[in-house]
Amino acid sequence: MPDDDLTADEVRKMAAQIGMTRLEDQHVQQLLRATIGARARRAALPIDTLVPADEPAHVFHLTLDEDR
Amino acid sequence: MNDLAWLTVAQAADLLRTRKLSPVEYAKALIDRIERYDRSLNTFLRFTPELAMQDARNAEAEIMRGNWRGTFHGVPYGVKDIVDYAGLPTTAHSKILADNVASADATVVQKLRAAGGVFMGKLSTHEFAIGGPSFDLPWPPARNPWNRDYFCGGSSSGSGAATAAGFLPAAIGTDTGGSVRNPASMCGVVGMKATYGVVSRRGVIPLSYSLDHVGPLTRTVRDNALMLDVIAGHDAFDPGSANRAAGGYTAALAHGVKGLRIGVIRHFYTHDMQADAEMAAGIETAVQRLAELGAEIREITIAPLAEYAACNRTILTGEAFAIHENWMRERPQDYGALARERLMAGAFVRAADYVNATRLRRKLADAFHALFADIDVALTASSMDPACRIDDRQAIDYTYSRQARAPFNVTGNPALAVPIGFSKSGLPLSMQIVGSAYGEALVYRVADAYEQATDWTARHPQLQ
Repeated sequence: MPDDDLTADEVRKMAAQIGMTRLEDQHVQQLLRATIGARARRAALPIDTLVPADEPAHVFHLTLDEDR
Repeated sequence: MNDLAWLTVAQAADLLRTRKLSPVEYAKALIDRIERYDRSLNTFLRFTPELAMQDARNAEAEIMRGNWRGTFHGVPYGVKDIVDYAGLPTTAHSKILADNVASADATVVQKLRAAGGVFMGKLSTHEFAIGGPSFDLPWPPARNPWNRDYFCGGSSSGSGAATAAGFLPAAIGTDTGGSVRNPASMCGVVGMKATYGVVSRRGVIPLSYSLDHVGPLTRTVRDNALMLDVIAGHDAFDPGSANRAAGGYTAALAHGVKGLRIGVIRHFYTHDMQADAEMAAGIETAVQRLAELGAEIREITIAPLAEYAACNRTILTGEAFAIHENWMRERPQDYGALARERLMAGAFVRAADYVNATRLRRKLADAFHALFADIDVALTASSMDPACRIDDRQAIDYTYSRQARAPFNVTGNPALAVPIGFSKSGLPLSMQIVGSAYGEALVYRVADAYEQATDWTARHPQLQ
């Protein structure tokens, strides 16, 4: 979905789907701006440089009590 | 009173240890100063003179008995109000947590209390360490002591402003995308974000688990190292805590920079972003001064600032929204407008985007760590601009992301904001010195050499 096309009505529905049903109109406008901004940041992530072997920064590992 | 206001931790410790200064006299002087001037600066969200006097009397009694505990015994400090102090509310400067009374001390508070510090109170922050400066919260925002009409940076706003104002010689802040180093830069003090895991986050309200750091703000580099000596160390109750020895951060001070290799990340503030002309000139003058002191200066190139910023923000907002989701459902109206909008940015971050940001984080961190084969420390801008007016919403929005601090939350490296002078309008300028992982002592060494060769830390704001 092109970021610029996101509307207040759409973002209100998206919010309702995750339980954010108490937003006032000004809150919905804020959510719209915030979501468009977040999508722009996502577009700035150079994910095409990643290969399958590139692992996340925080990968779970077990710690023994004596290592704590 | 003014002389006591500008004592460094190191100076105070010497006077307290040798009984030339009473902890009670010292605390009273600072209490008087706070009562006189903080009405116009709002650095304290909760000022606790009664607790301070209790700590001071205890310190005095112990020192008189010959039981001097160390550098912070009898030294006043404050903590950002997202840090727990048992029995006091930790509000995060938010209506949401106005009645949230801490049941235990944060680990950093435990350590400062054990060191005999004198607790002065809880300091203003941006709401949940992300939304500010805001005028729609239960408490007003802190202001810049160099000019109260100007922004003091954030989110550790009160920590930076109170330290610069001579209310405290040292304060605790937190830093997720630059929030210790921003107020340090705006207020002309020294602020350290140590290596991720060096300082415990236990008892600190999280913004973003994998990016949050707790750090000291002081008026001098030595004081900063002294405070980090107190608060650093492994904490089994913090899953991110580094299980390794900490301390010794003053060991390399006064060793100078002769022969040290300093890599200047110039493209951050000349290409990726264009810093304000006075800020850029100030950084270049500081680089020149370090060269004159014997450092070997070389320019280095790393990933563009925008990549670090996107990585930091995707992770930060994703993790932060996970923390705030329930409140966003139930009480969205109880947030200030700025925190609400900045936190909402995480509402629809896709899982794949979050994971990819953490995959990029590892690549960015690995590439940055590799540079330290050829340099000892890196140097770059902290803020791109001096402080703007606190009531200029447009300028606040414009300058909010114009910074080069978030890259080192992404990589986890230690990064120190250091004063480098003043703009023509009298507002502080700053730079950032960045070390290899766990290389705090070397960062302090370089910053100390620069500080000793200049007189910026000897200048203080005139309060009204």
